[in-house]
Amino acid sequence: MKTLIKGGRLIDPVLGLDAQRDVLIENGFVVQIGEQIEPDGARVVDAANAIVAPGFIDMHVHLREPGQTHKETIASGTAAAVAGGFTAVACMPNTDPALDAAAIVSDVVRRAEAAGLARVYPVGAITKGRAGHELAPYHLLAAAGCVAFSDDGATPRDARVLRNAARYAADLAQVFISHCEDADLKGEAVMNEGAASARLGLDGAPSLAEDVIVARDLLIAADTDKSWHIAHVSTGTSLDLIRWARARGIRVTCEVTPHHLVFLDDRFDDYHADSKVNPPLRAAHDRDALREAVRDGTIDVFATDHAPHGADEKAQLLSLAPVGFSGLEIALGAYALAVRDLPPARFIAMLSTNPARILGVPGGTLEVGSVGDVTVFAERPWTVDARLFHSKGRNTPFDGMTLPRRAVATVVEGAVVYEHGRVLPREGALA
Amino acid sequence: MPPRNLLDVDDFTPPELVAVLDRAVAFRDAPPPRDLLAGVPVLNLFFEASTRTATSFTLAEQRVGADVISFAPGASSLGKGETIADTALTLHGIGVRVIVVRHHESGFARRLADAFEGHVINAGDGTHAHPTQALLDLMTLRQEFGRFAGLRVAIVGDILHSRVARSNIVGMRALRIEIVLVGPTTLLPQAFAGAGVRIERDLDAVLPHVDAVMMLRIQRERIAAGLLPTLDDYIARYQLNRDRLRALRNDAVILHPGPYNRDVELTDDVLADPRSRYVAQVHNGVFVRMAVLDALVNGVPVPA
Repeated sequence: MKTLIKGGRLIDPVLGLDAQRDVLIENGFVVQIGEQIEPDGARVVDAANAIVAPGFIDMHVHLREPGQTHKETIASGTAAAVAGGFTAVACMPNTDPALDAAAIVSDVVRRAEAAGLARVYPVGAITKGRAGHELAPYHLLAAAGCVAFSDDGATPRDARVLRNAARYAADLAQVFISHCEDADLKGEAVMNEGAASARLGLDGAPSLAEDVIVARDLLIAADTDKSWHIAHVSTGTSLDLIRWARARGIRVTCEVTPHHLVFLDDRFDDYHADSKVNPPLRAAHDRDALREAVRDGTIDVFATDHAPHGADEKAQLLSLAPVGFSGLEIALGAYALAVRDLPPARFIAMLSTNPARILGVPGGTLEVGSVGDVTVFAERPWTVDARLFHSKGRNTPFDGMTLPRRAVATVVEGAVVYEHGRVLPREGALA
Repeated sequence: MPPRNLLDVDDFTPPELVAVLDRAVAFRDAPPPRDLLAGVPVLNLFFEASTRTATSFTLAEQRVGADVISFAPGASSLGKGETIADTALTLHGIGVRVIVVRHHESGFARRLADAFEGHVINAGDGTHAHPTQALLDLMTLRQEFGRFAGLRVAIVGDILHSRVARSNIVGMRALRIEIVLVGPTTLLPQAFAGAGVRIERDLDAVLPHVDAVMMLRIQRERIAAGLLPTLDDYIARYQLNRDRLRALRNDAVILHPGPYNRDVELTDDVLADPRSRYVAQVHNGVFVRMAVLDALVNGVPVPA
């Protein structure tokens, strides 16, 4: 099988290339890059007036399977991924049961293969049941396909547990990912602590709730010499701590979400949970610090924290409604909206090269011999209509907004899985 | 356009506020005809226990001739199963036109109002708002001073957890009353400061300079939550008592939303003090609630 991506502007951060090039993929791998490649029977993707990039990897999504398939399935989540321009996603372990045993992870991998859309890289739990007490079987999880470890929204309260986890897993390349929120400082918070929460009579989580765990985990990373990744950074102080850690030689990377780059904690006047998320949307000075950290390179990765929920769940009272919302299908446009002046090569590195490197997975470049995962995107303003999402989760604070950029085509292992607004399962896929 | 709902004080413009308070005074001075809301079905929906507010509302509703239905569901029966929107639709279908609602969660009244086609009156939502309490406080202040602009009012105590304080801040700012909030940082974060609102930590320094002082209730659960060390420590700095009464001007008044905790935020000396206005407040409450019902259902009579 041959696929030719034709007529696009190829930008590859690894090759240092930014020029019009055709890309030919054969049997799942890039076999040729050239100024003018003849189709010669290949399936042709028209990339005229678009940018061709190594496949985008969203290293922070929730696919809800097993256990919460009313919110999302691996099939619907990967359909959302390819429609958003992602060739691969890393899925968090807060499923039911948690991804804390090899058999559960293998099941996720099988279901992803059956869906035949985006690649799915499971993130294994750090503790059994994400309960914060007993260590998960890291070597077995790694053998089953886990590319990283995280307890996601429930970081171990006990620093001794986390330290021992990192020491035990020290010989594995898999990075530890921290969702940094101190459960005690956060309390019953439904939003950020500040003037808005004071006025509305709502419990707010202070920035401090994130900062103290970022500091703790950076020090544990230093102590254990484990490489570490800080998920969805939302405060200026967290960024300062990460800069400090890097200056000390601590191996740490970090990511930022579309919503923390765009929105503020001023979205709760109607007491709806549409914008309820962990960590919460913050103040303007935090958002501005995040944008600056994208520009200066402190932030390595764009990741959505795609967290789909049922509409009835999100329509509950603010205290009862679950946290998070869908992100995969608005991501490219939202990042572009937030940081308009980011050079395209950096944009691509943050979505492809950097997450591939951090997770140790294929991709991140279209150098000949690389895996044939390609994202084609364009500066094409469009208006978000969440009702049209492929994800089962149809709530997003971006609904109704006009975004400047979107995916045009998505190619995984040479198979065109998204083009002309349609998701196209691979031949032989079950879903 | 008169507002459809009273979710917080600022649903009324300042001229509307004054008109509603005028109306309340008129109702107090001469009972209105009992047919102002004749045949209008009003539902008192109290998810949270209330004696004074529920009684006051019920009496007010009866005095304007409404058909009164009172229902106190268990605190959690809504929110499990039926959605707020379904409840609102059902109640409207049954024929309810006004819902007076109290709920333990901030924003509940707003969520209900967004889904209900009739009128919603917020009788207290979590720590957010309690607009009829603020209106009766404003009515009491006006009765005392004959004006709002330029008054200086101290609100003392657990501001963070007080819907009464929040609604008073909204109303007093709109009427250009100068507000001084007094309390420890754990119960009064700096985030409350703003235009027209000053924060002080020392009650003794504030008392000689205010026209009114409003003492909020202190709940013992703040100790268990680690927000207060002991009642004694709080009392030493913030209790209004015989000693501190001397610092208060003779022409100042003392307000309390009730119910008070004797010997915590205030002592018997305060209740016996001629400057205390607690009885006037609760008395005014009925007339304010009559005026609010009339304003929402029949329109606010604002002079052109």
